[in-house]
Amino acid sequence: MTKRSDIDLLRGQSPRNPSRDIWNVAVDEYAQGFLKRRNLLKYAALLGLTGFAASQGLFTSGAARAAGAGGGTVRVGLGQPTKAIDPVTVTDPASIGVISQVGEYLILDDPKDGVQPKLALSWEADETAKRWTFKLRPGVKFHDGRAVTAKDVVATFERLVDPSTGSGALSAYKGILSKGGAKLVDDETVAFDLDQPNSNFPFYVSSDVFNAVILPADYAGDFEKNFIGTGPFKFESFRPKQGASFVRNADYWGDKALPDRVEIKFFDDEQAQVLALQAGQLDVIPSTTRLELAIEGNPNFKLLSVQASSHDEVHLRTDQAPFTDKRVRRALALTIDREAVVKGLLKGRAIVGNDTPFAPIFPSADPSVPQRKQDIEEAKRLLGEAGVPNGFEVTLTTERAYDIPDYAVLIQNFAKKAGIDIKLNVLPQDAYYGSATFGSSPWLDSNLGITDFGHRGTPDIFLNATLKSSGAWNAAHFNSPDYDALLVDYGKARDLQAQRVAAGKIQTLLLDETPLIIGYFSQYSRIVSSKVEGVRFTAISHLLLDKVSFV
Amino acid sequence: MVRPLAARAGSLLLTLWLVSALVFLAGQVLPGDVGRVMLGPFADAQAVAELNRKLGTDQPILAQYWHWFSRAISGDFGDSLSMRAPVAPFVVSSIKNSAALAGVVLLFLVPIGIGAGVVAGLRSGSLADRLIVLTGVSLSIVPDFVSGLLLLMVFGLWLAWFPITGAAPDGAGFWTSSYHLILPALPLVLNLIGYVARMTRAGVIEARAADYTRTAILKGLSPSQVLFKHVLRNALVPTVAVIATQSGFLLGGLVVIEALFGIQGLGNLVLSAAKARDFPMLEAGVLVMATIFVSTAAIGDLLQALLDPRQRRRNAP
Repeated sequence: MTKRSDIDLLRGQSPRNPSRDIWNVAVDEYAQGFLKRRNLLKYAALLGLTGFAASQGLFTSGAARAAGAGGGTVRVGLGQPTKAIDPVTVTDPASIGVISQVGEYLILDDPKDGVQPKLALSWEADETAKRWTFKLRPGVKFHDGRAVTAKDVVATFERLVDPSTGSGALSAYKGILSKGGAKLVDDETVAFDLDQPNSNFPFYVSSDVFNAVILPADYAGDFEKNFIGTGPFKFESFRPKQGASFVRNADYWGDKALPDRVEIKFFDDEQAQVLALQAGQLDVIPSTTRLELAIEGNPNFKLLSVQASSHDEVHLRTDQAPFTDKRVRRALALTIDREAVVKGLLKGRAIVGNDTPFAPIFPSADPSVPQRKQDIEEAKRLLGEAGVPNGFEVTLTTERAYDIPDYAVLIQNFAKKAGIDIKLNVLPQDAYYGSATFGSSPWLDSNLGITDFGHRGTPDIFLNATLKSSGAWNAAHFNSPDYDALLVDYGKARDLQAQRVAAGKIQTLLLDETPLIIGYFSQYSRIVSSKVEGVRFTAISHLLLDKVSFV
Repeated sequence: MVRPLAARAGSLLLTLWLVSALVFLAGQVLPGDVGRVMLGPFADAQAVAELNRKLGTDQPILAQYWHWFSRAISGDFGDSLSMRAPVAPFVVSSIKNSAALAGVVLLFLVPIGIGAGVVAGLRSGSLADRLIVLTGVSLSIVPDFVSGLLLLMVFGLWLAWFPITGAAPDGAGFWTSSYHLILPALPLVLNLIGYVARMTRAGVIEARAADYTRTAILKGLSPSQVLFKHVLRNALVPTVAVIATQSGFLLGGLVVIEALFGIQGLGNLVLSAAKARDFPMLEAGVLVMATIFVSTAAIGDLLQALLDPRQRRRNAP
């Protein structure tokens, strides 16, 4: 089939409802090469065209089998879970890695193959994008043999939006979905009435909200007892603080897992993880810059990476001197050499950011907005205009985590070139976050700070939580009615072009106002032994081992 | 003998009570509302207040302390905030893991340390003596995490004689578990061996120069009788006290080694509880640690008294 007829066929399949426009625009963009296959799939999925896409072979690569032999035990090293493993409350990467062996979502946002229908088979929105209806996959069973019904799905989401459960997803659903929003239509259909229109809602019930694992309606918060989910592996054993093991689920609704077992060990020390990997006692471990150095050039190990929207966000408090003047904020942003940071600090495993949460991997990002580059002369000019020609002194408060302390030193050095004298205040991570509420959190209260943000499949959470006037994570204390209005337009836009137009306006406004400096979007990596094939993972720590084979 | 023992037990209990009060107070001084910590920053205030009421954390501090203390003395340390399960099984399992590691350390440390000390003491001034003293001092100044890493690389990675992790797989027997603990034990043995050897050496030199040894030799006792019955019995008194104190440290203060070798011991338990602001776990862990430190010191004193009749007399009224 030629590319042309391929495109015609895709266009001919446009849905009957108002989603037709979005789909046709997406197909046009794909034909012109603006939209990658992965993003076309995302749109197909958003419009509920999954059945069609599957029939066109668009979803085949995810189901492809690995070349090596099945069977065997995949041995995984993970960090120490910070609290009891419970899908409703977890926030740490190790727990997400454990849960992904047994738990599944309505949709999987696979970094390689885009949105994949899992426990939901298809979905569609009404004309307002305020009501979304999901058809569930029939014949799916929990590990204890009970069938998954719409009742379980409704209970799962009601639990996640209930403030008394300690749900880790409350921040994600704030302003999107509230208690009573998930409704039972029939045994295999669930509807969601949203607080406000959102064209990206399927991402909110996908693996992107890692707490949204579908659990039985009568789930009592005791996940560690039996790890009941619907996934390709089921519970074998669990030793708190030590590790867990899982075996192939013979009743799995999809392709059965290739490995017989998965064995997970928790480590308090990352050095110990890499040593165990080198000794051949582990097959998969998380990755950090320090560990990557330890395996560099060694053919026995592979570094696997996926592009992500993770970033370290520099906030400038727009309601406190010296950053009340947007020229001062822009001046500081102009001192940073982003290319140098990406190449040097992040070893090239990142893409340059443009001071907005719209990572280039989001199809809705407007690529025509000019990229901010280092310009010391312009920075000095702006400072002069703002009445501080000789610069100023300021304290940068941040957390001792990942590459952030080094990034802070780089910013300090860059800023010096324009006369800005930055003092560093680097705190332990938990001290920096404090209670994560305004008034008792160095993160949310500091004048200038750097905070790490993990990957999300759409920019919505970043846009809402960190920049909206009422945002729960608005560390910049950014208060712009214009921005808030643009955000509503962005949420309503159902067509890619309209989304991009709204995004372009937001990006331009944020460049002008500069409440945040986002210098890069970093990749997410794992280190694996060369003896294993088929290790897949998402940029928010899910670890998918069902297609792993040994070579 | 009974009265000093009772006095000792009394002071021990008083110390532990003081520690419990201090630990509890420290837990209250640390910032953070328990309900808020458990439910997270996005839970509404009503849910947080309800949880605090359920946990009793909204009560006055003295009432909370009494509630906690009265349960703690019966072994019930309440529920862990982070693990959402009773604290006691976590503490018990961490004590077991720490005790297993300490056991393997002592298995190597006691015979080798004392043996080297006796050899050095008997041949004081010789090449062997200088070698033993110098090696012991050199080894003791290498931090255990440095020697631990080196040993891991050499014996775990290159030679692959020992497993890299100290925790044996699920359902492993006694020998497999002990085998897993050899590599983590070695850095601690190396670190402590010089100390034990020097204490023994000094004791042996002192005992050999003592009048009772000369008398024993003049009585015509065989050299081995002189050594075991007269020299060692007196020479080992301070060494026993040292080993007892070190056992306390081995049972509770090994955070770095436990982390490096993935052993869930008492040190690790307390550290992770502190990180997670898990007060019930932290309080139980610290209290158990304090109990171990105080009791091992007391056992050391007791052993010293048993070995040295002069001390028994000194303690007598």
